[in-house]
Amino acid sequence: MDQTKQDEEYGYDLFPERNTGKHKKSQIRDSLFIFNHKCQVMLTFAIETSPYAKLLLGAMKNSGCKVMKDRHFSCEDCDGTVSGGFDAASSQIVLCQNNIHQQSHMNRVVTHELIHAFDHCRAHVDWFNNFKHLACSEIRAANLSGDCSFSNEVARFNFGLKEHHQECVRGRAVRSILAVRKISREEAQKIVDEVFDSCFNDHAPFGRIPHGNKDAKFAYREYANRDRYYANL
Amino acid sequence: MDRPAETSWRPPRACEDYLSEFRHCKSLFNRFHHYYAYGTAASCQQWKVDYNNCREWENHRLTEAKDALRKSESSRLGEKRNFTPVWKLRQEPPSDWHRPLNQENQQDS
Repeated sequence: MDQTKQDEEYGYDLFPERNTGKHKKSQIRDSLFIFNHKCQVMLTFAIETSPYAKLLLGAMKNSGCKVMKDRHFSCEDCDGTVSGGFDAASSQIVLCQNNIHQQSHMNRVVTHELIHAFDHCRAHVDWFNNFKHLACSEIRAANLSGDCSFSNEVARFNFGLKEHHQECVRGRAVRSILAVRKISREEAQKIVDEVFDSCFNDHAPFGRIPHGNKDAKFAYREYANRDRYYANL
Repeated sequence: MDRPAETSWRPPRACEDYLSEFRHCKSLFNRFHHYYAYGTAASCQQWKVDYNNCREWENHRLTEAKDALRKSESSRLGEKRNFTPVWKLRQEPPSDWHRPLNQENQQDS
């Protein structure tokens, strides 16, 4: 069949360990490798301590998509510089163990991919056929995960101040689309522009753009108290 | 369906939450990042007003304070929802979210 072509079209070639049929049997061998172990340790720490992750996990559980670490996360080797991905076909978040080496990066990637998983859980997102849906989720993930924080942008030597966050979100959304779909940069840009206003303002489940851990903690507090909030409006 | 008795109403957030939101809003960190994201200055006064109304309600049970607080929160919520979604929301979670991975691999081969 046209499996290779389909793999390239949907970005699966970036994640060579997916869909090869090799699964749990080789897990014991894999777990002896250092990268995989480090990835697992950092993932556990992220899930347990990052307020971003805790909020998303809580929101997903309440939407009926309880996340089980061993089922819904997978540490794998990936191609290029990609850090992670969300595979809607298997409902798994892929973490690139060969490209994530710092806890702060892990926290951010976990948050970013959980936003995709959250969108998958709460909406009919047509990941494979509707570029607007894909663009929307990428905009939200870049916006809300801390990808475009001032400090992260400065570390990339992208200096900007007034509304630079939005510029960063647009740029990263385009990059993410180009990484997994074979379309031109102009097309990707156009699609991002079409859905930007709607998706940039969709802050679910945070209720705000979390600029740092304190914002995320406040958002988590707001989420935890939502019953009282809505009951007394 | 019936509204709960007026005496059982309480502010949507704890009063301390309004105060901490106000203080956080006024912080340099937040004001900087608000400008970085939106290009405008953060407006924080409403949190202070809400905090004062919250205390008024707690201490004196003033109806004006309660109404002002509810109006403020409704308006805040309205602003958050001010966009047209790109996708349709689900009524139920995806049916294959918990499907075991082994099953999926067998189907592929």
